[in-house]
Amino acid sequence: MTVADVGRKAPRRPKPAPGAGRRSPLRVLGMVVVLAFSAFNLLVLYWLIAASFKTPVEIFTKPFALPVRWFQLGRPLRNFAYAWDQAGFGDAFLTTVVLVAASSAAIVLVSAPAAYALTRLGVRGSGPLTNLIAVGMGVPFQTVIIPLFIGLSTVHLTDSLFGLFLVYVALSIPFTVFLLTGFFRSLSDEMEEAAAIDGASPLRTFFAVMLPLARGGLITALILNAIGLWNETLLAIVFLQSQAHFTLARALFTFYGAAEYQSEYGGLIAGVTILVLPMLVLYLVLARRIITGLTLGSGK
Amino acid sequence: MADVSFRGATRYYAGVDRPAVDRLDLEVADGEFLVLVGPSGCGKSTTLRMLAGLEGVDEGQVWIGDRDVTALPPKDRDIAMVFQNYALYPHMTVGENIGFHLKVAKVPRDERERRVRKAAALLGLESYLDRKPARLSGGQRQRVAMGRAIVRQPRVFCMDEPLSNLDAKLRVQTRTQIASLQRRLGVTTVYVTHDQVEAMTMGDRVAVLKDGVLQQCDTPIGLFAKPANLFVAGFIGSPAMNLLPARVDGDSAVIGGHAVRLTRGQRAKLSGDEVMVGVRPEGVDVVDFDDGIPVVVDVVEELGSDQFLYCSFDQAGSGGLVEHAVTARVAGMSPNERGAKVGLLPRREAVHLFDPVTGSRLED
Repeated sequence: MTVADVGRKAPRRPKPAPGAGRRSPLRVLGMVVVLAFSAFNLLVLYWLIAASFKTPVEIFTKPFALPVRWFQLGRPLRNFAYAWDQAGFGDAFLTTVVLVAASSAAIVLVSAPAAYALTRLGVRGSGPLTNLIAVGMGVPFQTVIIPLFIGLSTVHLTDSLFGLFLVYVALSIPFTVFLLTGFFRSLSDEMEEAAAIDGASPLRTFFAVMLPLARGGLITALILNAIGLWNETLLAIVFLQSQAHFTLARALFTFYGAAEYQSEYGGLIAGVTILVLPMLVLYLVLARRIITGLTLGSGK
Repeated sequence: MADVSFRGATRYYAGVDRPAVDRLDLEVADGEFLVLVGPSGCGKSTTLRMLAGLEGVDEGQVWIGDRDVTALPPKDRDIAMVFQNYALYPHMTVGENIGFHLKVAKVPRDERERRVRKAAALLGLESYLDRKPARLSGGQRQRVAMGRAIVRQPRVFCMDEPLSNLDAKLRVQTRTQIASLQRRLGVTTVYVTHDQVEAMTMGDRVAVLKDGVLQQCDTPIGLFAKPANLFVAGFIGSPAMNLLPARVDGDSAVIGGHAVRLTRGQRAKLSGDEVMVGVRPEGVDVVDFDDGIPVVVDVVEELGSDQFLYCSFDQAGSGGLVEHAVTARVAGMSPNERGAKVGLLPRREAVHLFDPVTGSRLED
């Protein structure tokens, strides 16, 4: 540092490029909309979490106040305990975790080799086949529920977690294959050629070279599927009848019907919180990875 | 180690009628360093990929040693390849990258480690063996790619523009390292580049390709001294050779009033009454305006050691001055100025003559 540099300080915030920092009306409007939307969502989240600690009276009379009554009574977690034990959320939580984990893993296990074969092996007709699978994404699953139900009931797989597992895997394959073809396509040819010259068989190339390279894609596929299946309600309602098999979303649906008669709104909202919070946490932790997955292919 | 031979090797790409490589006949001797050079799209990479087995051969054959490998997959050809972008496995350490082939080939662990260490030592990579490629510099990655090839002790090295991702200074350094390493190991090497300086400095012999057709294959000196046709003449050497059309008058070609003598053989081989006179920038002397070819100096490029004069002159039939038609290379710091009128005199032994119709060289 020369003498002239003494007392010289770097600006706290470097100047933006000319024009980039200007506040156009559109920009301000956009900002307002985004902030309002975020504030609204935060408010809902606050309401949900606060309400899950309140008595029904508190929920209706002081919707935005902090919970008081259960804390005074010394049982702050009363609603959660009720939902967990009385409404069967405890069992449902375990069921859901196992079902979602098994389904997501199976989906990726089936889709990854398919996507690899479609993009990298240069098989004749792989282009049209990829498109056909992509079309599967466009079929709303609601429209195939009845045939699915009839099909599964003939093989006695209704009201069975394994049956629901099969439905989940089958219905998630189109999206996952499509997502993973994007990942595999973005990998360089040279890597495969290098593996071929190193003497690796196609199977070994897939497992030792390409799969680790696509790890980011596989994790994204796992997370997206896990979130989707965790929240899945309709299929669970249709295919599961006995309480012992209920997933969280399915248990909540039943609980909702019952809670109205019992005025058990505190427990109900605690149930909603149990359903929502794990995914919220997962998203906060993995947001960056999920966004990369969704925007893949939009730029190099 | 083995010799390599292409026998009428031809490669078509889907949907293109013209072959990417057309009936290539090329012999590479055992232990030789052969460079394939040419402009982009000339088929040099395709040729290398046919040798490596990454590309099919539509007609003809490729031999390595006494084996026809045309139909063999890459792994059965006993070759190693260095890729342009190195193609290092990013999830493996440097050591695992170098040793991947040995692992696939089920070489016992201790021998594998010994060979990886040896290759790493040869390339100065010992202290990086546990690093992932992402944490290496460009030059180090390049050396890992080399290490992966060396460790196999293959019969042939295939190198596809391995220096094109390095900066200029490192490229010059690595160029000599690769060349000397190859001499030391004595492994037959086919090396693809679009850079004629790499081609000239590294290769025992250089094969020039254009539009999938082999133009000439010779030693660097041979290419420079006796280019077989107009394309090679213009491609090899920097700045490029001056190629000037001239009218034949009797037994000499006339350029801007200056006469270049043709031998009787050359005259006889010529199909028309025009000839292409080629002379390299270093093959002309600057003389008075009245002697030699009369030109006007457009640009003077001073490099210190050399000086390039870009000159315009009245080319036959062009009806006016053609800018930058002739380049002359003279000693640095010469007192030449823009706009000066000088004469350029081609030295007799530096003149190349070509048939303008066929493009081929007219031998003395």
